[in-house]
Amino acid sequence: MTTTTADSGELGSSPTGEAAGGKGLKTGALGLVSSLVIGVASTAPAYSLAASLGFVTLVAFKYSPAVMLVAFVPMLFIAAAYFYLNHADPDCGTTFTWVTRAIGPRTGWMSGWGILVTDLVVMPSLASIAGYYSFTLFNANGLANSTFWVTFVGVAWIIVMTAICYIGIELSAFTQVLLLGAELIILTIFAAVALIRVYTQHITHSIRPEWVWLDPFKLSISTLSVGMLTAVFIYWGWDTAVTVNEESKDAKRTPGIAALLSTLVLLAIYLIVSIAAQSFHGPGFLTNNSSDILNALGHDVLGSPWDKLLIIAVLTSASASTQTTILPAARSSLSMAVHKAFPPRFGSINSKFLSPGFSTLVFGAVAVAWYIGLTILSPGVVLANSILALGFGISFYYGMTGFACVIYYRRILFKSVKNFVFIGLAPLIGGLMLAAMFVISIFYYSNPANSASGGQAWFKFISFNVHVLGLHLYVTKGVSPILVIGVGLLLIGFPLMLLWRLKHADFFRRSREAAVSLEASAPPLTLGVIPVTD
Amino acid sequence: MAGDIILGYDGSEGSKAALRVAVAVAKAFDAPLTVVFGYEPNPMGGETADYKNQLEKIGTDHLDAAVSEAKAIDPSVATEPIVAALRPVESLLQASLEREARVIVVGGSGERPIVGAILGSVPHKLLHRSTVPVLVVPAPED
Repeated sequence: MTTTTADSGELGSSPTGEAAGGKGLKTGALGLVSSLVIGVASTAPAYSLAASLGFVTLVAFKYSPAVMLVAFVPMLFIAAAYFYLNHADPDCGTTFTWVTRAIGPRTGWMSGWGILVTDLVVMPSLASIAGYYSFTLFNANGLANSTFWVTFVGVAWIIVMTAICYIGIELSAFTQVLLLGAELIILTIFAAVALIRVYTQHITHSIRPEWVWLDPFKLSISTLSVGMLTAVFIYWGWDTAVTVNEESKDAKRTPGIAALLSTLVLLAIYLIVSIAAQSFHGPGFLTNNSSDILNALGHDVLGSPWDKLLIIAVLTSASASTQTTILPAARSSLSMAVHKAFPPRFGSINSKFLSPGFSTLVFGAVAVAWYIGLTILSPGVVLANSILALGFGISFYYGMTGFACVIYYRRILFKSVKNFVFIGLAPLIGGLMLAAMFVISIFYYSNPANSASGGQAWFKFISFNVHVLGLHLYVTKGVSPILVIGVGLLLIGFPLMLLWRLKHADFFRRSREAAVSLEASAPPLTLGVIPVTD
Repeated sequence: MAGDIILGYDGSEGSKAALRVAVAVAKAFDAPLTVVFGYEPNPMGGETADYKNQLEKIGTDHLDAAVSEAKAIDPSVATEPIVAALRPVESLLQASLEREARVIVVGGSGERPIVGAILGSVPHKLLHRSTVPVLVVPAPED
């Protein structure tokens, strides 16, 4: 009989006499600062801005700060779903397992697939930003503009980051605080300098900030939806701040405070930087330089060599973001394998490094292949296609998590006003908003003229014209790469799921569950035992 | 329960060598032997639930093997396994404090110093941080 630890208590002789399974050593409780750092660093503000600010502006023009503000609403509501689903039993949950329990195995499988696809779609943008900004750091502008060399460094970046996750190298908590602190300070300095110069000097095309930039009602529903679909990406990863907190030192207060503080930090930094960025040279500059926004602006705002600080911030941020993409991707496929929804090899743990070895390596390899393939298929617009397509995957599986929360807790929703608002209403509205953005954006991008890829289209033989509920879906001479990547990759999951179901029906025989109280632990989802070592 | 011999065990060759030494030390002092497997998923990136469960299974398997091996070497030594959701070094340090340990026994990883410095070496960190003596048993040469 082995003593295992769950959360706290003394070795062996537990005075509280907890149930079987026992209590052992105290786990590594996370303090407020660590929880905050994990949440904000996983969101990667500098990289998120570098990757997406130009594309949000492309859609919403001078109202991009408003879009960034509104895009936070569904993400906040979905974070409530993450919080409560995680709260039921922190030892049993990921989006894949939650959706499987609440809605059913098929939807659960598709949500797991959604996570994997979304993590894959973001990789080329991370790699190309890492490649491009690495060269500009050393003033190698010729190399920075060479697709071959940027891709070369980008591929090396994916390989190194995969190795780091495989071996399990971690930065100390102190180093993480330093890096994130530096990132936030540099972004703040950048915004402050830009705004001071706008007010005190004559800068080309500069405009002073106006309150109307924050007014989302100036935009049409369609523009707002498409803008938000791009902007949800900047908050992607923030939910980890809510879920890691189950292990916090003061589990009653820390999670709430950490989530609230990280919210304020992120909202503030995104609003200040997006306002400062577009007032400096006007929104036109942002759309013209959408693929290297912080490099182009940093150079003009801070001047050499101080603009290198901004580039370093983007690179450290991108490295945190790459890790917080590879780690959850590998763990999601591990999760699916453990529950017999994916080939068992994905569930294996490397015996030396204790990492989900096979899952990590496969994800790294697929990411490299996808990045190179996409570079060949859509030359020059890899970043645009990836960032604009990403919102579909995020909306899909975050939305599913929101719906799963409402359905899983359906029996206790009406027990208190608090339950109804935070476990029911908020996740439901969040899910519906994401679903609406998803659908409206499909209509928008069905016209290749609306994509940032300059009318680039794939599968040029496809052509059709449909009117649905007053909306016009017209695909002429091909489909925008954004739709193929964003929606197509999700759809591929469906036949794969049916294929898996043919031979491995066990997983799909599960019945749905519902929580009877907030405190009750959910029973384990595992259907059988699979070998856990390589 | 005090004066335990604490053994760090992860199934590696070094830890198997350490097990044999730890049983002998426990016998010599007539002290109980506590075998520890520590793990902690990187909280960055979340999605740790199922990963954690898998690690716990591996830990349990390793420790079951360690306990039967210890029993086989010397059935008179009282052996207790602990799987801890803490990093290896932290779990050993905490076990040594709570058990008022006499000594911590770990296996040398057999890695070159530079590799150990990059990847993080459990014996190295223990030597600096432990409040009780640390016994490092080299892995057998191939």
